[in-house]
Parts: sequence; C-alpha cells; structure tokens
Amino acid sequence: MTGFVDLYSENDTFLHRLDPRVKILSVLLLSLLAFVLSTLYSLVVLLAFIFLLLFLSRASLSRTWFALRFVLRFMTLIVILWPIFDSAGTPVWATLGPIKITEPAVWRGFTSAARVGCLACVWYILMFTTSQRDLVRALVRMGLRFDYGLTIAISLRFFPSFMATIYSIIDAQRARGLEFNRGGLIKRSRKYVAVLVPAVVSALRTADSLSLALQSRAYGAKARRTYLRQLKMRRSDFAALAIVTALFVVPFVAKYVFFVHI
Amino acid sequence: MKALKMCEVTARYRGADRDSLSRVSFEIEKGEMVLLLGARGAGKSTLCMLANGLIPHAIPCTLEGSIETFGRDISSLPVAEHSTKVGIVFQEPENQLFCMSVEEEVAFGPENLAVDREEISERVEWALEIVGLKGYNDRPPSSLSGGQKQRLAIAASLSMRPEMLVLDEPAYALDPIGRLELYSLLTDLKRRHGLTVLIAGRDAEEAATCVDRVALMSAGRMVRTGTPAEILAAPEPLRSIGVPPLQVSELIEALGKKAKRFEYGAITVDALAGQIGEALGEAGTDR
Repeated sequence: MTGFVDLYSENDTFLHRLDPRVKILSVLLLSLLAFVLSTLYSLVVLLAFIFLLLFLSRASLSRTWFALRFVLRFMTLIVILWPIFDSAGTPVWATLGPIKITEPAVWRGFTSAARVGCLACVWYILMFTTSQRDLVRALVRMGLRFDYGLTIAISLRFFPSFMATIYSIIDAQRARGLEFNRGGLIKRSRKYVAVLVPAVVSALRTADSLSLALQSRAYGAKARRTYLRQLKMRRSDFAALAIVTALFVVPFVAKYVFFVHI
Repeated sequence: MKALKMCEVTARYRGADRDSLSRVSFEIEKGEMVLLLGARGAGKSTLCMLANGLIPHAIPCTLEGSIETFGRDISSLPVAEHSTKVGIVFQEPENQLFCMSVEEEVAFGPENLAVDREEISERVEWALEIVGLKGYNDRPPSSLSGGQKQRLAIAASLSMRPEMLVLDEPAYALDPIGRLELYSLLTDLKRRHGLTVLIAGRDAEEAATCVDRVALMSAGRMVRTGTPAEILAAPEPLRSIGVPPLQVSELIEALGKKAKRFEYGAITVDALAGQIGEALGEAGTDR
C-alpha cells in the first residue's frame, strides 16, 4: 500500500534530471493529447511513446509491473465490457441473446482501453522519476499556496505511518481474539470499528503534536517565507517542454483546424 | 538576566478540573543545564510549553503569575518570536518531523522566519554537523533511526538559533545507545555552544551525570531543586512521588541493609565503586 503512494526510484536519467514543473506540464499535455487523438492507431503510437519513456526512466521491472498490473487489468476489463454495452454499428460479429457484439464496438473498446492506458502510464512517468519532495516543491512554485503544499507533503509523509498504525491495531486486535474474516458483511464491518476508533484517535494525537511542532518552528511567522532550494529551468528543460508542446499542438491543429481524422 | 524566571505560576487547561501547575516558582540561569524530574502528570510538559510560549498562545490555558524568558514576558510575544530564543523538542520524534528530507526539516524554521537563503544553508550545515547528521541532507526523515530522528528534531530547533533548548522527555522512546548519544549531544551543546538546556524526564539515570541542577516536581508543584547529588542520592523521596530512583542508590540501599558502612551520596558508578573499595579495605584491616 505504501509502495503505491511513492513509486519514485532514484536514478540518473534525463527524465530524473528534468525540472519537475516541466514534467508536470508535459504529463498534462500528453494526457490532453490522449483525448485529442481518436483513432486506435494514433493512440497505440502514443502508448508506445509513453512506454518508451517508462523504459528510459530505468524503473525496476518489479516496480513497473507493480504499477502496470492495475492498468492492464482495467484495460482488459474495458476491452471485454465495451462491446457488451455498446452495440452500435455493423457488421454484427455475434449475438448472445439480447447482446449484440459489433465490429466497430470492439474497436471502440480497444481505443478506449488504449486511451486509459495512455492516461495512466503517462502519470507513472512522473511518479517514477519525480520525488514527492520535488513534486510538492514544483506545485508550490507553480502557484499553489504554501499551506496547501505543506498539507500535501504532510499527507504523503504520514500516510505510510498511518497505514502502519492501522496494521499494528489489526494485529493487536487479532492477538486478542478478534476474527475479522468471520461473519456476514455487517458483522465484519462492525469488527473494523475496533480498528478505526484507535486509528482515528492516534491520527488526531499526531495532528495535535504536529500543530505544536509547526508553531514552535515559527510557521506562519512572516507573510512571505524564503526557500533554501529554488527550482531553475535549464536549456534541456526548455527543449523538453518545446518538444512535448509540439507533440500536442501538431495533432491538435491537424484535427481541429484541418479536420484530419487522427 | 535569567534564561527562565517563573514566579508563583498557576496554570489550568481549559475544561480541566485541577491546576496543572500550582504556584510554581522556578529559575534557570543562562548556560545552565537543568533536569525537570517528575512522574506522569507532574506538570513537566506544561512547564516546558510555558517556557516556549506554546502555552498560552497555542494551547488555551488560564494563567496566574509571571513568566519571563530572557527578560521577555511570554504573554507579550507570539510563539514565533519565542522560538528564536527558546527551542522546543517533544517526546515523539516521529510526530514532529513533517518534511520530506532532512535538509528541508532543518531549513523549515529559518525559512518561516524569512532568513536569507545563504544563511539558511549555513545554519542547516551547522546544525546537522552539531547533531552528527552531516551528509544526511537528502535522506527522508522516516529512514532514520529513533535516536537520529530525535537528533534531527534538535537540529531543526537549533537552526532557529535559540539561546535555550527545552526537551520534553526526549529520551522516552529511545534505546539505551540512543539515550547515551542524546545526553552526550546535550552536554556538548551546553559546554561548547553555551546553550541553556532544560530537560524534562521521568527518570534521571542518564541525565544525573550531565546536568547542573535537578528540579523535582509532583502533582503540579515544585517539590525541591538542588544539585543532582542532593536530589537523587536518596531513593525514598523519589519513590514517594513516583520517580524511579537511580540504580546506584538502589544498590547502596541494598548494600546498606547488609552492612551499615554504605551511605547515600554516590550517584555514579565510579563514586559507588570508591565506597565499595573503601569498605572492602576497612574490612581487610579489621581482619
């Protein structure tokens, strides 16, 4: 669970070295591009490009598989379910009672699955190559209020601790004889109250201690705070941003100005 | 000028049915290292938070009496102003580290005070070197050991350049090695950097040899203050207020029951060894 929150792995690749703001903007542009493209072929090309970037991020195979298996399951589900609920078009490939499986619907299923794959995997590039610290720092530099940035940072920082607390409480309750897997849904849900109450109390205590720690370190003392580390855009950052912008603008203009079906 | 001067202070938290501090008068000289000793609920944490201004500014509390830190009334200035004079470190290191890297953690205070970037960088390196975490700048705090986390919390306070450091049960969650490292660091801060140090704790085992003075608290009252030998040598007065006596004085107590030669006074193993050596010498002469 904690691994899903932080997929970052330290490496020295050009993707790791890019300014986090460039990575955020690039990921947003590539996500929008996935909506601009409407044919299966163009989406597969985009997906291949994203996979190439994932490969270049040099994330370990186990980490990549950990992240991708959720997307692959979801994509498979879309491919299977889409033709069942969308019966528009001809030719009809099969009829199963009231369900008609048509050829265009099958392709639409593949297209949607490819789009979902692009949208998910492009964000993995950001998560694989950008530390949470840089991500929050970039968001603050892009205009997010420091308070909100700090809130995100604290949430990311304490999420693993909170999960560890929950697992400890579950283990402690099991040691006292509470069996979470027995009984019906309502009975099982009630048993989790014995986990939730101490977990919430623990979280509130942590929050209380945190607020004191923040105040004792002059949080909010000055209207404008200074920052030890500043983000600086380099030539390679501008170049990367220009390439991704071009990748977005060219298909966008082709589709909406010259009405090319891509 | 006193580092801390409390005169007839009574404090009661909002909604509480009894005073957390009751007519406490207490002073700490600049450069002094003091152990505030007492059982749970003795009022140690309240006194610590009063010294830093967290009470009454962050925690609502009814206050009587006067409290001054370095000649400044605590009620007249916000916590941020106090934090540049009095730094505070809490019991649980985990709950006071909220940044994503060691460097950010230490820089957080000076950044809030809008200190220049170059100076923040200097302060960070200085504080990390003092606490023995130099080179850990990019490490996430969660990857550190308990002792290292507590030292990081101290570095985070030190980077605000306080004149006094208040530590509320800093050794509570630490293993024996972590405790020894912590007290060695605090002694170093006092001796080499002239910092005034106030440590609140439930036992005096490791602190006994480091501090200049011990203040004994019980049920919100200041019971006694004195040198470690004066306060810690006899076990019974400590037991009576729920504080575990030093192992050395418990051993003297046990030895004293066997042979009358042993008297309370030693608070270190070396001093006790001296007493035992003398006793053995006398026994040899008698024979």
